[in-house]
This record gives sequence, structure tokens and C-alpha cells, in this order.
Amino acid sequence: MPTITIDPVTRIEGHAKITIQLDEQGEVQNARFHVTQVRGFEKLCEGRPFTEMPALMARICGICPTSHLLASSKACDDIMAVRIPETAEKLRRIMNLAQIIQSHALSFFYLSSPDFLLGMDADPEERNIMGVVRKYPAMARDGIKLRQFGQRVLETLGGKRVHPGWIVPGGVSHPLQADQRDQILTQVPEAIRITRGALRWFKGQIESFRAEVRSFANFPSLFLAMANNANEFSAYNGWLRFVDANLDIVADHITGVDYMNYIGESGNDDSYLKSTYFKPYGLKDGVYRVGPLARLNMCESAGTVQADEELAEFRELERHSVLSSFYYHYARLIEILFSIERMETLLQDTEILGKNVRAHAAPNNFEGVGILEAPRGTLIHHYRIDQNGLIESANMVIATGHNNLAINHGVLQVARQFVKGNALQPGMLNRVEAVVRAFDPCLSCSTHAAGAMPLDIQLLAADGEVVDRLIR
Amino acid sequence: MFRVLLIGYGNTLRGDDALGPMAIERLRPLLPDVECLSCQQLVPELAERVAECELALFVDAACNGEPGAVRTERLSPKPGGAASLTHHVEAAALLELAQALYGRVPQAVLVTGAGADFGSREGLSEQGQQALTEICRLIPQLIQDSSAIR
Repeated sequence: MPTITIDPVTRIEGHAKITIQLDEQGEVQNARFHVTQVRGFEKLCEGRPFTEMPALMARICGICPTSHLLASSKACDDIMAVRIPETAEKLRRIMNLAQIIQSHALSFFYLSSPDFLLGMDADPEERNIMGVVRKYPAMARDGIKLRQFGQRVLETLGGKRVHPGWIVPGGVSHPLQADQRDQILTQVPEAIRITRGALRWFKGQIESFRAEVRSFANFPSLFLAMANNANEFSAYNGWLRFVDANLDIVADHITGVDYMNYIGESGNDDSYLKSTYFKPYGLKDGVYRVGPLARLNMCESAGTVQADEELAEFRELERHSVLSSFYYHYARLIEILFSIERMETLLQDTEILGKNVRAHAAPNNFEGVGILEAPRGTLIHHYRIDQNGLIESANMVIATGHNNLAINHGVLQVARQFVKGNALQPGMLNRVEAVVRAFDPCLSCSTHAAGAMPLDIQLLAADGEVVDRLIR
Repeated sequence: MFRVLLIGYGNTLRGDDALGPMAIERLRPLLPDVECLSCQQLVPELAERVAECELALFVDAACNGEPGAVRTERLSPKPGGAASLTHHVEAAALLELAQALYGRVPQAVLVTGAGADFGSREGLSEQGQQALTEICRLIPQLIQDSSAIR
């Protein structure tokens, strides 16, 4: 049986490959997304003091360490049974929003914009960020500037752009200074201008990507995201909620260790990335999606003026929920806009310069769970400690794990739509990569694996023979 | 004004890889008119600052060469060197990015010190220390020479 291998998958965060199985007629029979490296953070933290977890766990990833710092610190807050000071919570929320901005800007401008700007069928030598820089320098400058804005906020608050140590169990290590706040606020108008410009541009392009909209993991599924009483966009506080494709609630008010009753994790023989599923429906029917698309589908409003205007327009795309994963890109831009607006509001809060930013306590629980909406979706850190405060076990459920089944469905859907085994063209395989990119997977985090992230696509014949292989 | 940007980069937790950041730490108080940056790796967001200066000096550790030896290399933009910008770019690729995005490239020199030990530890080896001393002697000289021939 002929097989196409795409190895490595490019312009994603981590190492992966895709295999596409063909039948005797050269038609796609099956396709699989494999993650090829493992790091094992859950194991190596055993025996360490729980207070070390935020700093240790953040090393899982250089792109989203702040998300792990936050989820881990929340789990530690739970172990200490403390309610952190209000100012500290607001500062943590600003950090989370900055992380969303910089990560989404990276995904949209650096990783995916070559597909939108240069075309899915463009020469792979040219279809990269330098191709964008050469042909669309203003767009590239904007992308770099927007990501830089998010990174500067992280650096200003956390002291470092990558792996800031400022977020600690019980709050944050020191208060925000007035000049730091003012410095961030002066950059807000330009960040909003760039984001609105990108949104205008992207909306104008959608029509030319109709085939991708139709086939990029476009199917009914469940969605998981954080919810709150106001039904507003929620990235830091709240509980977990599952909705179906009609946006009817199927499980709600999930907090703490209760997540284990709803989220199942299944290992795979051909990938280090587990498949996560909605437990009450089982592995086969329990496919759900997390991240920007899920969050925007689930919330009734964003809670900020400009993002709400954009959200209203986004909802017009489809009758109920927005099901095409191509729209993850669109949702990402709206979330950037929301994050900038919300950050501005938080920074203008009179309490933001408060000096009480950390609660201190010894362990009061043997178990703690921290849940957060990371850029790519729901992030769960769950620790158990012994009577000396040492970690007995750790479990992390990462956004890309939640999306794994949906990514695999998407890879198969796109391969069936575009890949013709008897007349293979690079643009066909790029679309298979592009559907993975739409989810913006972070494989270092999700398998707790290390390394840069190339891609490998294999095309397999009916007898298993490798017919073609694309490695980038 | 002759603007100089000095960037030292490397991982301070990997022995002699800390050469760049340690050079910045030592030189910063001695070079008040120079913009000094210390970072773990070069990233595309630095392109704008590179484009704004007249002289860009990059200080890095090298894992090849005689440990303790210091080399300087004039840099020019490297076409195609920045195809993936997510994690890290090379100094020459950063120059290419500065040229393509901001239409300007400064004079640029890469100064490397060959290390002996890149293990998981903090602090330099004896050869790393030797390279650091030489780099800190060389950088003010390079700035002086470059501003003189301007």
C-alpha cells in the first residue's frame, strides 16, 4: 500500500510527521499525525518540592512558558489553599494576556501568514516568513512589532522575555511600578492598530480560501473552554464547560480534580502525543476542540468593546457554532484584540500598583489543580504531594493533547480533499501541513518534548510501501 | 551620533556558552554610550534595533576552535538565512532582516570566543575566562576603530 510521509511537519512548534495511506487506485484511505519526541516532565518532577514546580514546569517550552508558570502556580495556590491578593491576580491576568498576544502573533504572522499571503501552492522555497518579508514588508514589520509588544509586557512584568520567574505560588514576587505600567500603556494604541489592520486584511481574504474553509477540520465536535457567570471570554478564572456543535451545554461547572471524570487520555502506538477525549462519550465519539475557536464559540461576549464588534461579525460566519478549523486564525486575531483591550483596562485599574501581591502559606492540601486558558487552549496542571511537600505525582493536560483527535480528523479530511496519490503536487501536501498549523500545536508542551519542530509527511501505498516523502 | 549596539548572547546555565552575556555584564559599566543587550538567543524582534545603529557587535561563544581563542568576523546580510524565525536567527540573518524590513544595515562584527566546557553548570572554564578577558579588551578597540574609519 503506497504511503506519503511528510517529515518533518514545518512551521509548527515541535517535531511531528504525517503519514498518508493510499489505496490501489491512489486515493487516500487513511492519514495520521504523529508526534515523534518525548520529554517526560511529569516523571522528572517527582520527588521535587512542590514550590519548585512553576519554575521547573515552565521549562517544558520556550514559546508558552508563561502559561505553564501560571497553571503551575495556580495548582500550588490550591495546595497551599490560599486566595491570592487581588492585585496579584490582576497582574497574573495581564501576564496571561501578554502571552496570548505574543503566541498568537507568532502563529499568525510568522508561521501561517506565508500560506495566506503567498498562497498554498507557492514554491516552498519562497513560502516562508522571508518570502513575506520580501513581498509584504509592512505586514512583516507589523507582525514583528505585535509579537514584540506581547514579549515586552512579559519582560517588563516578569523580568525576562522567556522563562520569567516572577509568577510564584501565592501570587507574584513583586509589585508593578508606575513607570512600567505607563510604558506598556503607551504601546497599546499601535498594538490595536496593527491587530485591526490584520483583521481587516484577513476578512478580505477568506473568500479566496473557500476550499480550505470547507475541508480544514470542518466537522461537528464538542468544544471545551473556561466559562464564568457572565458568559464572557474567560482566560484565567472560571470553571470548565463542554458544549456540543449546537452550543448546548453537555457538562458544566467542572473544577479541580473533577476534570478526571470528564477528560480521558488514551495513549497511541504511533505517537508520543496522547489522545484526549470527553469521557462520558468515549474515545470514538468524544472528540472535542479547545483554543481560540472553542473559546469564541462558547462565550456570549468577549467583554471589551472592539473585540465584541469583531465577535458579532465572526458569529455571522455560520448559523450556530463556527466549525471550520480554518477559522482558528480569525479567532486568534480577535483574541489578540480582546487581550490588548482587557490588558489596558487592567493596567488602568487603581489597584494595579498595590503592594500586597503575595500570600504565604505552608501546604494545606495534598493535592492541587491549576486550570488556565493558554493561547492554544485549556491547560491543566495537577499535582499530588506527600507530607513533606514533595511531588508524588504530576499530570498535565495540554491544549494540543485536547486537540489531537480533531487534528487527526482534519489531516484525513484535508488529505481526502486535496491529495491525489497518482499526481502529487507540493501544494497538496502543504494543505495537509496547513490544517495542522491552523491548530497551532505546541508539541514540546503536549508531549512535554524538547526541540525545534520540523515536519515529515509520508505517502504509503496499499502494501505499505513509501511512495513519497516530504521532509522539511 | 555614532550609535553602537552590543549584543551578547548565550545560555548562562551551559558553562562557556555564557561568554556573550558575561561580556555584556562586564562591559556595560565601561561603555556608557553603547546600547548593551544580553539575551539567550538572537530573535527577529531585534532587527529594528540593529537597523537603527551604525555598528552592531555580536558576541557569542563558539564550540569549535582552540579553547580560549577569540575570533572576529565582519558580517554581511545572509540571504535566505532567516527562513524560520520562530526560535532563533543567526547574526547574519538578522542583518538580512534589518535590510529587508527597515532598509538599513549597519557595519557588523561577530566576535566569538571558543569555549572548552558547555555542560550544565554556571560559570566559565579557565579557557572561557581567558576568552572573556580578551573579548573585553577587544570590544572597546573595535568600537574605537570603527568610529574612527567612519
